[in-house]
Amino acid sequence: MAIQVSGITKRFNDFTALDSIDLEVRSGELLALLGPSGSGKTTLLRIMAGLESPDAGGLLLNGEEALGLKPRDRQVGFVFQHYALFRHMTVFENVAFGLKVRPRGQRLGSAQIRQRVTELLELVQLSPFAGRYPAQLSGGQRQRVALARALAIEPKVLLLDEPFGALDAKVRKELRRWLRKLHDDIHITSVFVTHDQEEALELADRVVVMNQGRIEQIGTPAEVYDHPASAFVYEFLGQVNRFDCTVEGGVAHVGGGALTIPTEGGVQGPAVAYVRPHDLGVTPATAGPGRISGIHVVGPDARIEIDLAGLALEAEMDRERLATLGIVAGDRCAVHIDRARVFAR
Amino acid sequence: MPADTSISAPASIPVPPAQSALTEPAWVRAALIGGALLFLALFLLLPLVAVFVEALRRGFDAYWTALIEPDAVAAIKLTLIVAAIAVPANLLFGVAASWCVAKFDFRGKNLLITLIDLPFSVSPVISGLIYVLLFGMNGLFGSYLRDMGVQIIFAVPGLVLATVFVTFPFVARELIPLMQEQGSDEEEAALVLGASGWQTFWRVTLPNIKWALLYGVLLCNARAMGEFGAVSVVSGHIRGETNTMPLHVEILYNEYNFVAAFAVASLLAMLALVTLVVKTALEWRFGDELAAARH
Repeated sequence: MAIQVSGITKRFNDFTALDSIDLEVRSGELLALLGPSGSGKTTLLRIMAGLESPDAGGLLLNGEEALGLKPRDRQVGFVFQHYALFRHMTVFENVAFGLKVRPRGQRLGSAQIRQRVTELLELVQLSPFAGRYPAQLSGGQRQRVALARALAIEPKVLLLDEPFGALDAKVRKELRRWLRKLHDDIHITSVFVTHDQEEALELADRVVVMNQGRIEQIGTPAEVYDHPASAFVYEFLGQVNRFDCTVEGGVAHVGGGALTIPTEGGVQGPAVAYVRPHDLGVTPATAGPGRISGIHVVGPDARIEIDLAGLALEAEMDRERLATLGIVAGDRCAVHIDRARVFAR
Repeated sequence: MPADTSISAPASIPVPPAQSALTEPAWVRAALIGGALLFLALFLLLPLVAVFVEALRRGFDAYWTALIEPDAVAAIKLTLIVAAIAVPANLLFGVAASWCVAKFDFRGKNLLITLIDLPFSVSPVISGLIYVLLFGMNGLFGSYLRDMGVQIIFAVPGLVLATVFVTFPFVARELIPLMQEQGSDEEEAALVLGASGWQTFWRVTLPNIKWALLYGVLLCNARAMGEFGAVSVVSGHIRGETNTMPLHVEILYNEYNFVAAFAVASLLAMLALVTLVVKTALEWRFGDELAAARH
């Protein structure tokens, strides 16, 4: 594996940012550290880069103990959240920086540096902008300069801190695809930090979900989405209906018997159930226990708000299905849920 | 669109001419601008012109003679020496202080910022007096220094110390807000890219603060050369030895030697003018750079 984190702990005064984190990043994979702000994900990334030092634990980069190494000796590429481009240097000079500051013995000749920077600018599709200053670029372009600059030193590992955080939605989506493609082409071991679950699920090979300085779950995007390991992961990844229930013999009773759901997980007694909106079935029924309290159409999808014996639920379906059902706000309906994940209360 | 199209803008209400809500009537603007200009002319421009008029009252020869007179030359030299020591010292102190205030978090940071401002809030006379109390004959270290044969008060070291104290905030004050705003992201980026601490400072930090630094140095220099109160206390007013230009002007004036007094004063006035011009040029340049540098 490329990075091995073992028992990393970091405190800032009374606040525990990281609580004994163990994590392996495999060679060549694109890994997402996903979590809300304050979950410790950026701190973990900065520790990998050597910008922060942990209070305890170990870190191996390509099998070598790295905690004793300065950032400059770790051979990592780091893309900062706000890019941290050198504002007084042109795009070309920014990308060349890492090559020019090498000790005399290891430094490339200026012609070779020029060639390498030119190649990198082609890679990030910024050749025409070589002479511009960062202030003259758009957010997406700055982001790509930051990436080219990080790649210039031929890092073994690429670390990205909220790489798309400062971009607007459309650019973010384009850049995300572009980065995924870039990673497929150059296969550099990469770790990126994000608080955006959609970004993590779309981009990463594996996702590490973090909360309050701990890892909640590690898995492929499908694993963490379909089989969340904890209530936190359920709530953090995607939309979810959360309601109290009582489980008896593997069956959850909701809203005083208005609904019964088969459960998984072997919990007994008072529990919290989680159901994704698209796993919630709605059928019109004149004497049904539920009432449609609102319908919101967003693009191709429809969100249906249901009042089930005082419990507010949300279902999601495409517009065609909604039209077939022919339900409108105020109708009575029946609700059925094939399966729910429950966690003991 | 509503089907009812009969609603139209009422035609009877006169539309006021397009102007910002903050624009005042013309006569208010004229009065304010005129008042400000008149005030400036009366209190700043007139005295400045008077300096040159008085200096040249007996013709250019008399003016020139007053400037090349040995005591005047000594005062000019001394002023240049004091500034040549005080300004670089404060350049270093200023950069170091702003660096640690802007880039590190530590206990007592606010105290440090307050202390940096102290010379601004203390009367210059007090600034001079501090050194007399410390290093003077009857001062804290007075007897020790006398035994060692070192003279600080009534000598060049005292003048330099007092000047350094008074001009301390200029560089730091310019740099701290700028460096705080810039943060340390770029430095971190440089370190990760393989730069050493020195490389980071010379290639990243310094270029980012150079205009503010120059601006601070300029102000610092103007004050170092023009300082009167603090140096007056520690100087001892020995003609040709411990008199800086401002002190020399005072002595000449007290001797009713108006032409010579104003001649030396005109040099200081010219220094002020040059400083102003360079400062304006820098502000123009530096404001531009700052605006472009904002991400």
